[in-house]
Parts: sequence; C-alpha cells; structure tokens
Amino acid sequence: MGNRIIMHIDVNSAYLSWEAVWRLQHGGEIDLREIPSVIGGHEESRHGIVLAKSIPAKKIGIQTGEVLWQARSKCPDLTVIHPNYELYMQCSEALMELLRRYSPLLERYSVDECFLDVTGSLGKRPPVDLALEISRRVREELGFTVNIGISYNKLLAKMASELEKPNKVHTIFPREIPEKLWPLPVKELFMVGRRTGPKLHRLNIFTIGQLAKADPRFLTEHFKSFGKMLWRYANGIDDSPVNPWGTVPKGIGNSLTTPYDVDNKREAFLFLLSLTETAASRLRRAGLMARVVSVSIRRKDLSFSSHQRRLFSPTNITEVLFKNIKTLFLEFWGKEPLRHFGVAFSELCNDQFYQVSVFDEERLSRKKALDLSIDGIRGRYGNTSLVRGSFINSGIPPLSGGIMEDYPAMRSQL
Amino acid sequence: MKVLMKNIEMISYSNCEGIIRPIRFRWLEDGQEPKIIKIDRILDRKEEKLAGNRMLVFTVQSIIDNVERIFEMKYEINTCKWYLYKI
Repeated sequence: MGNRIIMHIDVNSAYLSWEAVWRLQHGGEIDLREIPSVIGGHEESRHGIVLAKSIPAKKIGIQTGEVLWQARSKCPDLTVIHPNYELYMQCSEALMELLRRYSPLLERYSVDECFLDVTGSLGKRPPVDLALEISRRVREELGFTVNIGISYNKLLAKMASELEKPNKVHTIFPREIPEKLWPLPVKELFMVGRRTGPKLHRLNIFTIGQLAKADPRFLTEHFKSFGKMLWRYANGIDDSPVNPWGTVPKGIGNSLTTPYDVDNKREAFLFLLSLTETAASRLRRAGLMARVVSVSIRRKDLSFSSHQRRLFSPTNITEVLFKNIKTLFLEFWGKEPLRHFGVAFSELCNDQFYQVSVFDEERLSRKKALDLSIDGIRGRYGNTSLVRGSFINSGIPPLSGGIMEDYPAMRSQL
Repeated sequence: MKVLMKNIEMISYSNCEGIIRPIRFRWLEDGQEPKIIKIDRILDRKEEKLAGNRMLVFTVQSIIDNVERIFEMKYEINTCKWYLYKI
C-alpha cells in the first residue's frame, strides 16, 4: 500500500478524564485525575465494577474491572463516581470533530480511540510534529490528554500508542520493530487475550519477538488461520485500511447482570425477551439478518455457559429469534439461580436479498411488517412508547442490554 | 477571584449575528437579599469547549455595593443556563 502514515489516538483514562474536566468546567475544586478515584457502576444493581481509574488509584493497585468493594478495601478514601454515558458520547464526538480537521479518513475504533490516516495531510511536516500539535490542541481545547501512536499501518500505530502513558507520542516504524515491539511480552500483542497468551507460553513463546521468529506453519498447526494472523501482527504486517464508514459487525448481542438472582422460567424469559428486543432492533437498523442465535448465562456461583444454534434461514424478526432463544435456554438451564443473561446473533448477512425456504414460518412478512412498525413508533416517540404486555407489573425493563443507542463499543478487529 | 459557579437568572441581548450579551442578572447570596446587578462593561469574551461542552465565558465589570468589581460569567449553550462563575 506504499508508505501510509497512520495515527492511533487513545484518550488517557477516558471516562475518568472526561468526568474530571466536566467537573472543573462546572466549578469543581478538585481534579479527579489527581486523587484516588474511579468511575464505577451501580453496586445496588450489581454492576459495581471499576470502569476507569486515576493514576493515583492505579498506583495503589486498583485495577479496571475489579469489584468496587475490593477497590475500596485497597483505598478506603476512594472517590467513586457513577458513569455518565451521555457525557462520554459528547466528549467522543468533540474529539472526533477536532481530529477530522486534520484528515477526513478517520475511523472510530471505540468511544475513546480512533485511527487517522494523515498520509495526504502531512505536507512536509514530520508526522511526530503533527501528532504533537494534535495532542496539544486536544489538551488545550477539550481539556484532556491523549496518547498518539504513529506508523505505516493500524496495528503498529495501535501498539505504539500503548507504550508509555499518559500524554505521549510514540512511533513504531518497521525499522523500530526489533527494538520497541519484539521485547514486549506476547500478551501485549493485539488479539492475544487471556486464552491465547497461556497457549503461546506452553509453546515456549513468551515475547512478541519469539512469536515473530516462529515458523508460521507451526503457528497455523496450533491456531489455524488465527496463528498466521498472529505471526503477521508480530512482524508488524497489517494491510487494513482506515475506513471512515466503519466495518460490518461480525455479530450483534446484548447482555445484562440482573439486580437479583432469577430462578423461575417466567422472569428468565422476560429478561431474555428484553435483550432480544434490543438486539433484534439493532439488527434491523443495520439492515442485517442473523443465521446463528446464541444464549449465555452466568449462574449464582459465577459459572458461565452458552448454547447456540444455526437457523435454517437467516432472520431479524424478534418473534422468530426469541422462539429459538427460549428453546436454546431450556435445553441447558437446570433451573439453578442465574445472575446474568446474554443473547447474541452472528453469521450476519444483508437483509435485502435472501433465499426463501419452504420451511419458512407462515406469515413471516406480516411479522416483519409488525417489527418495522414497532421500530418506527419507538424511534419517533421513545423506546418505551410501546412495550409488550408481559412486562407490565413485572419490574423488569422491557428493553435492556447495551449502554445507549449507537454507543461505540470497542471492536476486536482492526 | 473565588469560584462560585452559581446558577443565576439573566436577561441578555442577542443581535442578528447571534452574538449574546449579558445585560443584568439576579444574584442571591447566601443569607442576603437578592441583588439585581447590571453589567456595565464586557471586558472579554471567549468560547470554551472542555469535555465537548460549549460554554461562552464573559469577563465583565459591574458596580456591586458601590464597588467596581470584575467577575466571570458562563453561558452553557446546550442547557441555556447562565452561571456566575468567579467573583
């Protein structure tokens, strides 16, 4: 692809920084970034985990994802603030708007990260100078700091931005790979998660450099096509373009942790229905249908199970999806108390054209029209303007899962 | 100046170009009678966009209790609220 110049911009402790700046703008005397503080969920509804932490909190040993009571035990004076997703969307939009002044080729990766292709915007200016200018403008105009990684492709730019934080600009150009990328632990490589890391360790691969020098056929043998991708990433090879229009999702799903343990079929179905309503509506809005339906649960003892099925025909009709979800759920639920439900739809395809089968359910077109009418009414008058009768007096929200409409969740692909 | 960030009632003027000018406001200090303060001069105006939240910041001068004072006011665009920021 020639020598592109790609930047990866990542807000430092986004949720916490954004809350800190908002408070200072509104007359707050304390900067949350300078005291032990975290953004945490609502403990009363059992969503009490650390979503973001300040540097002083990190130094005490508080980790993102840990439960709040554990964080408080490490720091009794910890300041805990509830998340404000509307504020985060506002901050994210302001950041993207500022960055678009430098290049129209901006791809939002999550609410606080994006890629920027500045190949055509540099002129004679060195990329590091441009990155420093961007960093300064974000800090002065919007009030928070970012890390910026620069390279010839998205992968290396992302890896670069994750080197020392906060408020830094880093490069990992190909000639710098042996010095900056290869010494890092293999779990730091993009796409190496909790399961892949230990598997690589068992193969005596502990650093990204060892992974890069491994035989790609050996990796393919152990990890199939994923192994080849890992080898390419370890060698800094990535051709994916910066796509301002985003990518088609591989799956759409929703999940929630219930405020109490659910031990009866009626309430379990209601929670699953509320998740299905939201996820199916997102499918239709994206113009997609799903062929694979999946249900997941987490029990009171925190053990996790999931079950999935491939449908004969792809669909995005709520009733059809929910019918399959109910069947799947009953197949593997042993009536034990549950605290978490999830539904997910994958093997997505375009809903414009699909092969109709003689096994299609009757009156599919009427059900589809009903769903579109419901979506239209909710879009115009609000999500709760029309709810299913079974939710009345149940205490269970009729639509749940996810954070808010169009909230940009992090993707797992570049 | 001390930061107050107190929500206040304001009468303002907007011209055809959309430029807003604060004119007078009602200030209720704790334990005191409400005061109507007329803004005599606008010394500086700027826009800030911290956390993506647009606010117009005015540095103004008024006579309060026979004393000429300089203070800062903020107008939050998305909520249309005025604040006595620093005095």
